[in-house]
Amino acid sequence: MTYAIEIESVTKDFPLPVRGRKLRAVDSLSLQVESNVIYGLLGPNGSGKSTTIKLLLGLLKTTEGRCLINGKSVYEPSIRNEVGYLPEAPYYYRFLTGIELVVYFARLQGIKKREALAQAENLLFRVGLEDAKDNRIGTYSKGMLQRVGLAQALVGDPSLLILDEPIAGVDPIGAVDIASLIRELKEQGKTILLCSHLLSQVEALCDRVAILESGRLLAEGPLDKLLVSEEEKTLSIKNLDTEDRERMVKTAISLGGQVSVSRISLETLYLQLIGEKQRKAKLEREDSDQ
Amino acid sequence: MKWSAARAGLIAGNTFREAIRMKLFLLMLILATAAFASSFLFKEFNFGSSELKFIADFGFGGMTLFGPILAIIVSAQLFIGEIEHRTALTILAKPLYRSEYVIGKFVGSWLITMCFIALLSICLIIALWIRESSIIQADSEAFTTGRIINWIQVCAFALVQVLKLSMLCSLVALFSSYATSTIFAMSMGFLVWIAAQLQYIASDAWSAGSNWLYTVLFAFASLVLPNFHLFEIGDYLALGETIKLVAYLKLALYAIVYTAFYLSLAVVAFNRREF
Ligand SMILES: Nc1ncnc2c1ncn2[C@@H]1O[C@H](COP(=O)(O)OP(=O)(O)OP(=O)(O)O)[C@@H](O)[C@H]1O
Ligand SMILES: [Mg+2]
Repeated sequence: MTYAIEIESVTKDFPLPVRGRKLRAVDSLSLQVESNVIYGLLGPNGSGKSTTIKLLLGLLKTTEGRCLINGKSVYEPSIRNEVGYLPEAPYYYRFLTGIELVVYFARLQGIKKREALAQAENLLFRVGLEDAKDNRIGTYSKGMLQRVGLAQALVGDPSLLILDEPIAGVDPIGAVDIASLIRELKEQGKTILLCSHLLSQVEALCDRVAILESGRLLAEGPLDKLLVSEEEKTLSIKNLDTEDRERMVKTAISLGGQVSVSRISLETLYLQLIGEKQRKAKLEREDSDQ
Repeated sequence: MKWSAARAGLIAGNTFREAIRMKLFLLMLILATAAFASSFLFKEFNFGSSELKFIADFGFGGMTLFGPILAIIVSAQLFIGEIEHRTALTILAKPLYRSEYVIGKFVGSWLITMCFIALLSICLIIALWIRESSIIQADSEAFTTGRIINWIQVCAFALVQVLKLSMLCSLVALFSSYATSTIFAMSMGFLVWIAAQLQYIASDAWSAGSNWLYTVLFAFASLVLPNFHLFEIGDYLALGETIKLVAYLKLALYAIVYTAFYLSLAVVAFNRREF
């Protein structure tokens, strides 16, 4: 089976201004993203999320390892027919109107002029920019830029969408709209890789997440598994052995009760994982200072 | 996926559109037309036919000065400006070859300078024609041989400038391909413009070289840099000399070879670039 995205022990170093020193932004990272899932990439600022995404688009070159999209090397330009990309904090030609921009990108993908215009109208409507589509992008607000970026990523109906913070800067209602747009895309059979700091949104949206820290993979898996709280699981069967527990469950059900394994929130998990790391690092730093 | 001239053309077209909507181009145009208009202020003097030569010199001078300035500013702004604003991220994530992007950017900015030179030439021809007509009316004896202004020569001059600017635009494209700021690419552009203007000194020194180190150095400088001096045909034209077609073809070949050389280097640099 070919994965939509495959990252095989990828390392990315950036040279630092200090000679000979390097900054390791991604550290032997391996990930597989199956098709038709919504995959979340999480982690604190500077943990290498955007770098990973740029490696996937061939905008950066891996120091070690390799990235594949639909089983093909990311340095082959033709694979990008199947990929839509929204960069973080996107910025586009100030002098173009929203519709001109989307038409331009559509035509770059070989779509004929008339078809490109129809697609652009449709996409701008879908991202809620139909009123502003004839305004210059220079006048757009942050959230509007984000929306036009999303429209641009959807041009040509790609099967894989790579969205770097798609909801950042968008108002709450807009965020809900974009989330439902992403869900809709999944229903159409597309694969979506996104990163975001808005954990409640991610939790509601993603099927699977990876949490990065300093370029390393901290945790990875389907949300259902990651968020099952060990603590609360034992709590619910306190003082009962397995048999009793089963009987208990059966009884509960027969009594009309509902039994479910309780989950912690993604935010809790994230704070547990990252917070612990950062606390440790801080302590170590304090120790070495003394 | 095949290399597509259509995609490069789209990028060039968009670059052109950006430049048109940039106030800068308008400013240059106003400056240039103001320069021409001011040549009419000399109306009070009546130099006869030498006045026409003055206007022609003035116009040629304007093209030689403003052409390269516009070429450097526009190429740098349109190429690396896009990288600085990170617009290039989105474009390069589309299915296209980076060489298409480089060529598109070069063609777009070259087209802009071409339009600018064309507009200046039209202004110059009109200015000359109007002045000539009024001088003929005032003093018909001076023009017994008919009109002395040859608009074909003005066009030839303009064409040669366009050839020269293609080398400059491709040089700035090369700098933009690895520079990290607009200001760097622009300064390099201006430096190289001056160097190319003085290149003949280096190549003279090469042929007269005594010290081997200087010989190598000057040989390198005179091969890597084009000699812009070759493209200054204004003096010949103003003296009424005719230039043979072969000489024009040689200039064209010269410009094409250098442009192709710089663009290949730009493509290599851009292919290796990270964003
Ligand atoms: N072009 C570059 N040159 C040098 N260092 C870079 C470059 N791009 C990123 N880095 C470094 O790599 C690390 C990872 O950056 P990255 O942008 O991937 O973080 P991120 O996870 O996207 O963070 P954020 O949540 O703030 O967007 C950072 O330490 C950053 O300074
Ligand atoms: Mg980021």
